[in-house]
Amino acid sequence: MLSCALALASCSGVQSALDPAGGDALRIYWLAVIMTVGATLIFFAVTGLLLYAIFAPPERRAWLGGRNTIVYGGLAFPIVVLSMLLPYGLIVMRDTDVRMPGALPIEVVGEQYWWRVRYPGEDERPAFSTANEIVIPVGRPIAVSVTAADVIHSFWIPNFGGKIDMIPGRVNSLNFTAERPGIYRGVCAEFCGDQHARMAFDVVALEPSAFEAWRTNQAKPAPEPDLPQLVRGRELFRTGGCGSCHVVRGTEANGLFGPDLTHVGSRRTIGAGQFPNNVGTLAGWIANTQHIKPGVRMPSYGSFTGEDLRALAGYLESLK
Amino acid sequence: MTALRTGQVLLMLAGLIAWALQFLLIYGATSTLCGREWADATFLGLGVVQASILIATVTALAATAAAFAWSLRGYRSAEARPVSAADRFMVQSAALVNGFSLIVILWQGIPAFILPACA
Ligand code: HEC
Ligand SMILES: [Cu+2]
Repeated sequence: MLSCALALASCSGVQSALDPAGGDALRIYWLAVIMTVGATLIFFAVTGLLLYAIFAPPERRAWLGGRNTIVYGGLAFPIVVLSMLLPYGLIVMRDTDVRMPGALPIEVVGEQYWWRVRYPGEDERPAFSTANEIVIPVGRPIAVSVTAADVIHSFWIPNFGGKIDMIPGRVNSLNFTAERPGIYRGVCAEFCGDQHARMAFDVVALEPSAFEAWRTNQAKPAPEPDLPQLVRGRELFRTGGCGSCHVVRGTEANGLFGPDLTHVGSRRTIGAGQFPNNVGTLAGWIANTQHIKPGVRMPSYGSFTGEDLRALAGYLESLK
Repeated sequence: MTALRTGQVLLMLAGLIAWALQFLLIYGATSTLCGREWADATFLGLGVVQASILIATVTALAATAAAFAWSLRGYRSAEARPVSAADRFMVQSAALVNGFSLIVILWQGIPAFILPACA
């Protein structure tokens, strides 16, 4: 693509509006390409003519002030260009972000500085919650309803479409369809506080059967720990008071303030897209929360011994 | 201002006034109809919102076309005989402004036939 060559950067990416992975993003992409390329060409043409008008000898530049130049170049050309761009822009607008029948509903709440995600029940499939990760089936339209719990956030998955503001007390919606399986990244696109830049999420587009398997698993309660080390981790989770802010379905942890951790081990990242998810990063997060994401709504738990921290992190990691 | 000047100025502004009225009608009708949830009502087989926009647009276009034709006549007769620089400017501007008004009135009406009425 021309724009890729211009940008001199890799245009394929997990978070790139230049690598559309769905129809809406593709329409927006072409609109952007046509506007950018067109505006650039016109800019250079006009600048060229301006330089010509200044530096060419008078007899050669005389045609620039002629009637035809003004009528065709100054009137007809802009009128024709704008008359084509207007309907084109309107058609892009009409065909983008359209709610489709049979769309998969997903509810997302923006919170400082993470994403609460809920999949409502459908037919016999039960509702469940997760966080900081949206998993979607390829080919089926998705209808995301968004709102915010505290301040205004904005939900944006560049590979799939436009942005939508998340406003406290108001539900907005965004509709798109993923056409290519893969891992993408969404971000908060509205400054929402200190850690705004560390408020991202993963978007995993799966084949429909894999999506159904994921969904069935997510709706289940947390698996019982089977190793003594993990049982100890669960005990530390309980005595540490983590359950006052976090839900782990199937245990007594039922706090609704923070992310649902029932299947935290199945997620690709933690801390709203900050770290890959493994025992080491989980332990680091728990011990140094305020160092990693200062001002975040979870205290650092620096007083765990290394061994306890490993048990606790191991327990969380086992929650697949 | 002489009566002639007043006439020239009014003629020059005719298209813009028609545009302003069309604008007012379109916005007024769309927000009222959509706000009262009459968006689905139809008039002569056309959605009410589209129908009101169509009527406003066609009326504004007709009025502006008449003003444009009138100002072109003035322009031609000014070409044919010697007139003051001010008069020449007035008749030229009138033709130009009315011509432009035709285009913008058309642009203003187009979205109604592409986008959903109450999006
Ligand atoms: C005061 C409420 C609160 C308490 C108590 C709390 N957390 Fe959190 N926790 C949060 C919030 C809020 C977040 C989201 C942080 C962010 O913005 O990324 C979070 C995030 C997390 C995450 C990352 C989740 C993800 O999907 O990214 C883990 C893991 C976690 N907490 C574990 C724990 C553990 C273990 C404890 C107990 C030792 C604990 N939390 C205690 C509020 C709390
Ligand atoms: Cu935010």
